[in-house]
Amino acid sequence: MTNWPQAELDDVRRLHALAAGIPGAEVTERVFNEPLPAVWDLMWSDGRRFIEFQPDMRSVESVQREGDRITMLVRSTFGMRARLQGVVRPGWCWLQSRFLLIGMAATEDPTGGTRVALTGGVRVPGRAALIPLGVRRESRKSLDRLASKLET
Amino acid sequence: MIEEPEQLVRRAQGGDTLAMNDLLDQLTPYVGRICGPIALSNGPDATQEALVAVFRSLRTLKEPGALFGWVRAIAVREAIRVARQDQRQVPADLDELPAPNDPQLLVDVRDTLARLTPEHRALLVLRDIEGLDEQAAAVLLELPAGTAKSRLHRARASFRKAWGS
Repeated sequence: MTNWPQAELDDVRRLHALAAGIPGAEVTERVFNEPLPAVWDLMWSDGRRFIEFQPDMRSVESVQREGDRITMLVRSTFGMRARLQGVVRPGWCWLQSRFLLIGMAATEDPTGGTRVALTGGVRVPGRAALIPLGVRRESRKSLDRLASKLET
Repeated sequence: MIEEPEQLVRRAQGGDTLAMNDLLDQLTPYVGRICGPIALSNGPDATQEALVAVFRSLRTLKEPGALFGWVRAIAVREAIRVARQDQRQVPADLDELPAPNDPQLLVDVRDTLARLTPEHRALLVLRDIEGLDEQAAAVLLELPAGTAKSRLHRARASFRKAWGS
């Protein structure tokens, strides 16, 4: 038999699944009126815009890509550097450094807009766990910054 | 290069979240194939719930080689639970199932499945998609082996009658 119904999982649902394996992680969602390509372009755009709404990011010093694999050297507003490694596809971004985890997902919403979900924060060094301080607040602030950018 | 699931499990259990990401890529279609036919329109909810349960308890998986059997059990359990919660789906009182590879099933599997209870759909999935024998399916569903076997055996005639009417 070949026509068994198969359940599909959108990227926002995938983010919830992945975050479930990371103690301390929270997923914060918001629906924007703009279509997915426009929203994702603001969220990622080859990494250039990524730092504009993620917390405490000042600059991207280098980006290396091979397929959907990426390595980025970023500098925080406090001057510290982080080497982020991960996977980026349209609608999906998962990055880790020794001290940071960043997860972003976006998918078309039935309303015609875009559902965006964020997770991440300060990582327990080398572990699949976050230090559970201000995780949800930072994601909300990031979504606020994204909303502001979409309005302009 | 695609990494073997066992290696990914070990790296994920060691705290590598990129390995978790890659494991999610490999497990999502598998879980979707199990949850879709059991939970039907609630398939995405069931798939998400199953994967949440998988990643929440990945650290407890002692034998990475047993990954897919472990995931299968979680996916079936979550799909049945989610399907039961949906009051909109009221299956007919049909304790009969079609035979494996029954050509009638090829006509419209979704319509066929919608007439069955979630537990019956799970039996079909375990037998026809996962290739388990009746005894193994019964163990996974916590049914007496005889019950599973008799349900499967008695199924065909009345199921065909339902199709013929």
